[in-house]
Amino acid sequence: MPEGKYCNKTPINTPEEVNSLLSDTSGNQYYTEMQSLEVDSDLLWATIQKTLKSRLRTWLEICAHCGMCADSCFLYLVNDRDPKQVPAYKIQSTLGEIIKRKGRVDNAFMRHAMEVAWAQCTCCNRCGTYCPHGIDTGIMFGYLRGLLYQQGFVPWEMKIGAGMHRAYRAQMDVTDEDFVETFEWMVEENEEEYIGLTVPVDVENADIMYTVNAREVKHYPEDLAEAAILFHAAGENWTVPSEGWEQTSLAMFAGDWAACKMQVESVYAAMEKLKPKRMIGTECGHAHRATVIEGPYWAGRENGLPPVESIHYVEWLAEALRQGKLQIDPSKRIKEPVTIQDSCNYVRNQGLKNATREIMRHIVEPGYFVEMSPNKEHNFCCGGGGGFNGIGLFRKQRNKGLEKKRDQILATGAKLVLAPCHNCWDAIRDLEEEFKIGIRWSFLKPIIIKMLVVPDHMKPEE
Amino acid sequence: MFTKILFATSATQDSDHAARVAFNIAGSYDAHLDIFHVPGVPSRGYSQVVVDVKTKEQVDVDDDYMEWVKEEIRTYYAKYLENGLKYDITVAIGFPAREILRRAKDTEPDLILLGGSTGDEEQAVYKKSVAGTTLQKIARSARCPVLVVNRPAASFWGGLSNITFGTDFSKASDKAFAFAMKVAKTLDCELNVFHALDITSGATGDMLSQDEIEQRIREALRMIRGRYESRLKELKHYSMDVWEGIPYIEIVKYARDIHSDLIVMAHHSKKAEQADPILGSNVEQVIVRAGCPVISVNR
Repeated sequence: MPEGKYCNKTPINTPEEVNSLLSDTSGNQYYTEMQSLEVDSDLLWATIQKTLKSRLRTWLEICAHCGMCADSCFLYLVNDRDPKQVPAYKIQSTLGEIIKRKGRVDNAFMRHAMEVAWAQCTCCNRCGTYCPHGIDTGIMFGYLRGLLYQQGFVPWEMKIGAGMHRAYRAQMDVTDEDFVETFEWMVEENEEEYIGLTVPVDVENADIMYTVNAREVKHYPEDLAEAAILFHAAGENWTVPSEGWEQTSLAMFAGDWAACKMQVESVYAAMEKLKPKRMIGTECGHAHRATVIEGPYWAGRENGLPPVESIHYVEWLAEALRQGKLQIDPSKRIKEPVTIQDSCNYVRNQGLKNATREIMRHIVEPGYFVEMSPNKEHNFCCGGGGGFNGIGLFRKQRNKGLEKKRDQILATGAKLVLAPCHNCWDAIRDLEEEFKIGIRWSFLKPIIIKMLVVPDHMKPEE
Repeated sequence: MFTKILFATSATQDSDHAARVAFNIAGSYDAHLDIFHVPGVPSRGYSQVVVDVKTKEQVDVDDDYMEWVKEEIRTYYAKYLENGLKYDITVAIGFPAREILRRAKDTEPDLILLGGSTGDEEQAVYKKSVAGTTLQKIARSARCPVLVVNRPAASFWGGLSNITFGTDFSKASDKAFAFAMKVAKTLDCELNVFHALDITSGATGDMLSQDEIEQRIREALRMIRGRYESRLKELKHYSMDVWEGIPYIEIVKYARDIHSDLIVMAHHSKKAEQADPILGSNVEQVIVRAGCPVISVNR
C-alpha cells in the first residue's frame, strides 16, 4: 500500500500534525497502516550508498562473530541468553542483511528490523567496550534507526518525539514563551525564601548559558528553580536563552537526522547569539550526547565541538563543590546506603565517571556510598535508554529489560538511588512501579539543596 | 468574601468532606467554583502514558479520556451541581501539587480548597516520586489562602462566628492575621489570637522550670498585644491567649475549647520536603487533627 494517513515516510513538522498523530491513541491505526507500508528500496539503497561510511562498513565486515559482545548486553542477559539477543547477531541480521540485499527487503523485514532496533538495543554502547575489534553495535543501531525512520518504520512515540522537535524545537509541546514564563514563575515561587533569586534571560557574555530538558518545564518545573538556586548560591553569572533552551533530542533516538540537526542548531544559535563562556546542560544523559558530543557533527562543525565549551551538569557541580562555591553542611550529608546510576551517555560515552564520584564524596557521609556492580563505564544501561522508556509497543520488552538494573540496585542494599539523567531517572521510577523493591530515586539538585549552606545574602530577614 | 474558589479534588470519597465545604462556600458567597482534578500522573518517559489515580492502571491520554474523566466528575458531584451553581470542571495531567499551583497561577482564585489525603501512602499514585506531599507544596507556594478539610468533623462550614488564629510571630503569620481580620470583619465574628509555647525538649533544648514557662508565656502575651492588639480593637469581640505544650495539640485543643469554627494559620515550613512527611509541620498536624476547617495563609 502507499503511504498511510499516520504511518508514512513524511516527517511531521507542525503542531497541527503533531496533534493529529497524537489523536491516534496508542498509535493503533498507525501500526495497522505500517503493516502495508511500502519499502522504497531504491531510496533505501541510495541512502546507504551515500551515508554508510567506512567505519560502519568495516565494522560489519570485520566482525568475527566471536560472541564476546553477548555477555555485555543486558538484554541478552535478562532474556535467558537468547542467541538472537547477541549484539553481533542483532545488527548483522538487520542492517547487515539490508546491505547484503542492496535494500531489497520487504515490509515484514522492516517491521522486524524496527523491533530489533528499538526493543533489542538501547544504543548504550556497552558492547563496544568489550568487542576485541572495538565494534560498537550501538552506533550501528543508531544508523539503522535513521534508515528505518526515513522509510516510515519507526515507533509511534518516536515519530511524535521527532515531530515535537521539528514543531517546537523541544521534545514536548513547550513553546519558547512557556519556557521563559515557567522559569520566571518558579523563581517567583522561591524568591522569598532565597533572596535575590532571578532568572536572567538572554544576557550576553554571561559565564554560563544553561539549557534544560523540556520535561522539566512541562512536568517538573521545580528543577528549574533548583538550578537557579544553585547557580545563585554559587555566585555564578548565568543566563538562559529564550530560544534554543532545549538540550535534548528525541530526534536522535528516532533516527530523524534532519531534526537532530535542526534541534542542535537552535542551541548553537543561542550560544552564538549570547556568547557565553560556557554552556551547561541539565541532569540529562542523552541531551549531553546530542548537544555536546554528536551535535557538532550533525551541524557540520569542522572542529567537532560546540560553539562554546559545553559541560555536563555533574561537571559543574563537582567543580562548584571543589572550589567551595557551593558549601555542604556536613551534618546534613546522606547517612544511609546510597548508590548512583552511571548514565551511559556521559559516563561510558564521555568518561565523566569521576565527576559524580567527586560529588558523592561531598554529599555522602563516608562509608555510605555503595557502588553498583559493575559500575562507571562498565555499568549497565538503566533499561530504558535510547527511547525504550516511552515506546508503548515494546513496553513488555522494556519492563523485562529493567530486571538487570533492579538486580544491580538490590545487590547494593541501597534504598536511595541517585540518577543524574532523565532517562535513567524515569527507568528507575518505572522499575519501582513494576517490581516494588522499595527504593527512592532522585536527581542531584534537590539533594544538594537540602544540605546546602545557604549564603547569608540569600537568607530572608526573619 | 470569596468570588473565585479553586477546588482541587480527587473526585473520590477522600475528598467528600472537602466537597461538602466547597459547594457550601460557593453557594453561600455566590462564588465561582473551579473544580479541578488531576486524573493521571505522567509515566513511562516521554510517552503519553499516565497512571490513572483511581484505577492505578496505565492509560494512554487522549481527548476522549479527558472528556470521560470530566463526565465522571460531573456525575460524581451531580447532586451539588444543580441549583444554578457557577462552576467549571477542568482536568490536567501532571503532578497534582504542581498542576494545582499552575491552575491557581492562571486563574488567580481567592481561595484554594483541598481535599484530604488520597489515602494509602504505599499505593497512592499521587505520592509516587514526588518529594513532600501535595499539601506541603501547595501551602508553601500558593499566593492565596488554602483551606484544607481532612476530617469529617471539619466538614461543616456554617455561619462563621468564632475564629482561632494561631501565630508564631513570623512574617507569614502577619499575612495570616490580615486574612483572619478580613474574615472576622466581613462576617462579624470573634477572633481569638493564640500562641502555643513549644515546651518540647526539641524546641527548648532542655526541660523548662515552671517559672521559666510562665515567664515565656508572659513574654508571648506581650508580643501578641504589641503585634496585633491595635488592629484587634477594630473588632467587637476578640481575645488573646498563650498556652504551653506541643504546639499543634494545643491549637487543636484551644480551638475545640472555645468552639471555633475556623482555624487560620501560616504555613511557613521552610522546606517543601520534610525529613518525616508524616510529622510535617504544625499546620499540617493541625489540619489532620482539627475539628473545624483550617486555612493556611502564607502571603
